[in-house]
Amino acid sequence: MKAITKVARDEWRFWHRTKLAATIIVIGTILTIASAVINTIKMQEAMHERQHLQQSSEAQFLDQPDRHPHRMVHYGHYVFRTPSTLSIIEPGVDAFTGTAVFLEGHRQNSAMFAEQRQASGMTRFSSLTPSFLLQVLVPLFIILIGYGSVTREKEAGTINIMVTQGFNVWYLILGKYIALVACALLMLLPLIVAAIWATFNGESALITSSFVSGYIFYILVWSGIVLAVSTLSSKNSTSFASLVAIWIMLCILIPRIGSSSAAALAPTAGKLEADFSVLEELRKLGDGHNATDPAFEQLKKNLLVKYNVDSVEDLPINFRGTVAQYSEEKLTIVLNQFAEKRMIEELSQAKIARQLGWLTPTTALRSFSMTVSGTSLETHHRFLREAEQLRYDFVQSLNNAHQNILSYQADINRHKDNAAARVSADNWQVLSSFSFKPDTAQTRLTRSLVYGGQLLFWLVVVLVVLRFAVRRVR
Amino acid sequence: MQEEIIAASSLCVRLNNQTILDNVNFNVAKGEIFALLGGNGAGKSTTLKTLLGIVPPSEGSAAVMNKSVKTDIDFIRSKVAYLPESVMLYGHLTGVENIEYFLSLADITCSESDIERALVRVALQEKAWRQPMSNYSKGMRQKAAIALALLRDAPILFLDEPTSGLDPNAIDEFNQLIATLAAEGTTVFMVTHDVYGACQIAHRIGLLDHGKVVGMFERGDQSHINTEEVHSAFSKRNKR
Ligand SMILES: Nc1ncnc2c1ncn2[C@@H]1O[C@H](COP(=O)(O)OP(=O)(O)OP(=O)(O)O)[C@@H](O)[C@H]1O
Ligand SMILES: [Mg+2]
Repeated sequence: MKAITKVARDEWRFWHRTKLAATIIVIGTILTIASAVINTIKMQEAMHERQHLQQSSEAQFLDQPDRHPHRMVHYGHYVFRTPSTLSIIEPGVDAFTGTAVFLEGHRQNSAMFAEQRQASGMTRFSSLTPSFLLQVLVPLFIILIGYGSVTREKEAGTINIMVTQGFNVWYLILGKYIALVACALLMLLPLIVAAIWATFNGESALITSSFVSGYIFYILVWSGIVLAVSTLSSKNSTSFASLVAIWIMLCILIPRIGSSSAAALAPTAGKLEADFSVLEELRKLGDGHNATDPAFEQLKKNLLVKYNVDSVEDLPINFRGTVAQYSEEKLTIVLNQFAEKRMIEELSQAKIARQLGWLTPTTALRSFSMTVSGTSLETHHRFLREAEQLRYDFVQSLNNAHQNILSYQADINRHKDNAAARVSADNWQVLSSFSFKPDTAQTRLTRSLVYGGQLLFWLVVVLVVLRFAVRRVR
Repeated sequence: MQEEIIAASSLCVRLNNQTILDNVNFNVAKGEIFALLGGNGAGKSTTLKTLLGIVPPSEGSAAVMNKSVKTDIDFIRSKVAYLPESVMLYGHLTGVENIEYFLSLADITCSESDIERALVRVALQEKAWRQPMSNYSKGMRQKAAIALALLRDAPILFLDEPTSGLDPNAIDEFNQLIATLAAEGTTVFMVTHDVYGACQIAHRIGLLDHGKVVGMFERGDQSHINTEEVHSAFSKRNKR
């Protein structure tokens, strides 16, 4: 043990005295801190804006004067999803899906029609989110710091001195491993601070500690890869070239191939195509604004029989309101079918892409990080479902006022006497205040179990390779 | 016959389908200085590495203190201080720090005055002791590495071109030092290109050519080995 710490301490001394390694460590750490800070500021701004918008949009809706209820259906309303606390590090799908949905009658928001290709791919080198830095750039920094850790000794011949002094090669490698891990952990500092902050801001400690552990595993894996390759190589240059090739494979190519092949294996219809088939289905339902549409003939007959009257004028309810309610219900069923199908397709794409976590630790960590922090597709889908429920409830409450409060006569004469075709603004209190709760810690942890398993698998693989590499040093 | 410390018999080493050592035989007695001469690529360093278990023998046997390199390498390594060919200690450490560090890895604790004494013995100038080794000249690095090997206080010394890079004065001092150590009972196995120096201090000289021992020269009752004889054998071999 003493021998191992001796080696580790010397490795640190080396990084300290050779300015290059120290520079990389400083740059890496500063970059992660900076991106975490910038992201936090952006999120704070977004949060204030969101709170402001949410309040004002709700207040505006409620402040509307007496009106025809259907105009309120089209006036619409915004709902927002409060991002998870950990999204200051891991924005996850939020970056592509957005966190706001506009709710109105006869329509579902189009936020769900996002291409999975964008959501799971590493297509955005431009946005330097902390999670991107930690998942893609930190491995590169580990490579830059550690590629020569063993080849350096080989080139200088010092490894021969150590070996022939009877010094156990395992101690040498373990000492260097510990030093490299400790150094890479420095770059996790912003993550750890953010996790502590999140814990004090209502996030479960189980979640934040798992989140941090996932990244620590990742560091352990990458440090192991770097050390194994350095141990297997005979020259600094071969070690560096091999590691860069491995980095490109594991951090860039495979995750990217993953998302494109997922799109090929489980294709989703493009937005336009989906919209057309939705429109076609909807056309069959008839136009809810037109009570004389033949589609509502059966509804009319049933009502006349039910209330035992001869014409819609004699009905005790406003038939136009009934039609609006009826058609909204039918339309919602169709829209929900399409939306559900769409979400299932998106999710299965994402899940296929996540299987690549068995091929690269980067995808494993990415899936783990998103599912644990609650910024994965699953959470976004739940938001869409809850928002849709809210939309349906508020539209139907207005349609209910339309049916029961506004008289049929006033309604059909609305173009002549606009003032009579109104209901009191008291009826606008239909918005249940929407608050989106993050998934419970248990749900998220269960969801992330597989990806945690992938990371563990990688650690085992790397340690086995490292063992093999050490045996080859004589 | 004196106690036999190093022995190679019918030793063959093949690497990448290439025969590096071909049926090599020699033995070195306790307190003897044995020098291995030979041109570049003759297999001298490989011989040392085989005796230290860094390169495995393909055929034949190599033994140190009657222990085989195949079975008792840890024992052998504990008895040998090895000066690798063109070794560079850590550039980021000073001479003293380097020696301290490598000795501590071998579980040897050495006081600073011990280290300084060793540095004086190898004639490394005092002002360099506490400078980073990246500032050292080739010969200065070599001296520090020799000091490290000496401080191992091992009964056997394996030296791969110890005098390369040293100035003539330093070579003389070094040869003196080796002779003294051998007289005290240290067994020395050294690889060198310095024919003259080897003839001055070695008890025996082996001439290696393309992996084969092609000549063995002994002091006999002279005070040193005949330089002319070794030199002509050496250059005859090298011309081919
Ligand atoms: N690991 C290896 N794999 C393959 N061939 C090797 C290896 N190490 C050495 N050789 C070859 O073995 C031969 C002898 O090498 P060695 O280093 O023993 O020579 P040497 O006598 O010490 O030469 P020099 O005087 O230049 O130091 C050379 O031809 C070299 O190319
Ligand atoms: Mg050599």
